[in-house]
Amino acid sequence: MLIQVLNGVVYGGLLYLLAVGLVLIFGLREIVNFAHGALFMLGSYIGFSIAAIFDFWLGLAGAIVAMTLVGLCLDAGVLRPLRKHDHMVTVLVTFGILLVLETFATAVWGKAFRSMQPPELLSGTVELFGEPFPVYRLFVIAVSLCVAGGLTVWLRHSRIGLYVRASSVDPTTTGILGVDTDRLSLLVVGLGTGLAGMSGVIAAPLMALSPTMGNFILIESFIVVVVGGLGSFSGAFIAALLIGQIHNMGAVYLPWASTLLPFLLMVCVLIWRPTGIAGGKG
Amino acid sequence: MSKMRKAGRVGLGIAAATALLIGAGAAQAKDALKIGVPTDLSGTYADLGNQVIRAVEFAVWEANEAGGVDGRKVEYRSLDTEAKPDNARRQTEKLVREGYPVILGLIASGEGLAIAPMMARWDGLYISTINKSDKLTGDSCEDRVFRVNTQSAMDAMTIEPWLKQREEKKWAVVAVDIAWGRGSSEAFAATAEGAGKTMVGQFFIPSNTNDFAPYIQQVKDSGADGIWVVLAGRDAINFAQQAKQFGLIDSITVAGQSFTTDNTVKALGDVAKGIFGIINYSSTLDTAENKAFVAAWRTKYDADPTNFEGETYLGMQVLFQAVQKSGSIAPADLGKALSGGEFDTILGKLKMRAEDHQLLSPNYFGKVDEFDGALRPVITMTATPDQVTPPVSCSM
Repeated sequence: MLIQVLNGVVYGGLLYLLAVGLVLIFGLREIVNFAHGALFMLGSYIGFSIAAIFDFWLGLAGAIVAMTLVGLCLDAGVLRPLRKHDHMVTVLVTFGILLVLETFATAVWGKAFRSMQPPELLSGTVELFGEPFPVYRLFVIAVSLCVAGGLTVWLRHSRIGLYVRASSVDPTTTGILGVDTDRLSLLVVGLGTGLAGMSGVIAAPLMALSPTMGNFILIESFIVVVVGGLGSFSGAFIAALLIGQIHNMGAVYLPWASTLLPFLLMVCVLIWRPTGIAGGKG
Repeated sequence: MSKMRKAGRVGLGIAAATALLIGAGAAQAKDALKIGVPTDLSGTYADLGNQVIRAVEFAVWEANEAGGVDGRKVEYRSLDTEAKPDNARRQTEKLVREGYPVILGLIASGEGLAIAPMMARWDGLYISTINKSDKLTGDSCEDRVFRVNTQSAMDAMTIEPWLKQREEKKWAVVAVDIAWGRGSSEAFAATAEGAGKTMVGQFFIPSNTNDFAPYIQQVKDSGADGIWVVLAGRDAINFAQQAKQFGLIDSITVAGQSFTTDNTVKALGDVAKGIFGIINYSSTLDTAENKAFVAAWRTKYDADPTNFEGETYLGMQVLFQAVQKSGSIAPADLGKALSGGEFDTILGKLKMRAEDHQLLSPNYFGKVDEFDGALRPVITMTATPDQVTPPVSCSM
């Protein structure tokens, strides 16, 4: 039972890493980024390719750097020029980017599945509650806690963090007060995309790499974002942990309904609190 | 003026010659054999879908190089089904309506079962090359549906002698929660119980699952010493990776159906080593027909054909011979030629049973091991068609 709770935390942590990037980008640009799953996938493949030559850690670092650069280009080249357009236009464009990235990955890495092993240091198991538990899964929990902690400190206690929060609430007023919201967006979209890349590499030793791998996890990340409250960082954290538990407990106690439960939770939250658990923008 | 008339006469001549040529062409060339290939190109089984497409492409190329089948050009068109039965039904209908009435290449059993009852109404013909569910040629059998691959009952019969000699007493099943997984689980449980084993759990997992931890933990809690895994494509890789990390693969015996296939083993590497499994086709089979096929395939792709590529190619072989035998491409005529017919295949001369349209083929069992310096499923046991003939439960 306790092991199952821990398993839920692992999956919740993974979902959080992906969802928080979505939340960051939504907060600043007010668009739901459909390409986020493809960015996750690209991060996975970049990490995989670097790890094949060097090692896992360089793969992880390389993917974060490369995907942050992709994020900067995405904001400067796509999101900023489109900011005056209807949000729907931008959403459709991100969907286009998803298709382009999938085709790109197919061309470079092919359609056959790939898999990546955890680094030597993190392979193997440790005894937990009298059962062997994979060290790598504990690492996933540690990374998500570090990211959550780091983001909270940055957003709450730094000047830029203050601007990000202000801009998430009201970008126009924040701009009037002298904050360069375009530069802020560049930073935040870069960070969000870098996080997508990181979560891609973190997820790689757990799941098969394929050009469409992002689609299989993006839906659950969207649920996390909606349940947590669009644009809410703490909400995403709570929601990710909640979905992780529901996912695991559902698989154990209600296997026939396990795929339905996250959606059911979303419906309930939307009825109870249409703005999500942590409020966010109405 | 005379120039114009001359030009006119020349033009008339060309037109007449063209008309003659077209007429002659029409008299000579027969209608092309058009094959519809609805398969999974983006879902859980996308990797299997790619293998299907490659084998169809190869067989079509080979046939056209040799002057066609029965003097007919062979063409194919493929559409993505994402391995979802509702999509399969829509895409298959589209293919038939666009003039590709001979269907082949669906992956999930649920897809085959969804289109089977429609084939007569659409005037099409379906040849299963991958669908495992016994129902397709069992209680849901249809006049216009044929199967060249082995069904779950045949795979279960293949593992029976192996299971009997194993010491593991308690077995569990980990299966994808679709028609294939349910059917295979049932067939395995019956075989295991017949062999004096106890079933301690059957775990059904939704397809496209990212996190298998809750299921792996349940398998461990069940106390099983052996598991039968019915997962393929993306699910197979995710499960194997995670089960290895939990120490499950090293602590109990793992065997499966379409689990450790050629491509899965390639993707998994050492993780897959030592896993047992059904092998429906292997490029290492030592028959003249298979050697010729593998050699031709290597020339074109510089690689060995995989199990699904071999099985799909076998389906194309059977189809081409049915066209030659009937001298027709009408689905009704092809159906008559297929039913009860004998066909030369890469697995030898095989009979398509008239009662349920199941091809009676040999089957293999083995283990993932080193072979020629690389890991791959290696055959350790062969079952002849007689040993794995499933009972007939179809009334057409």
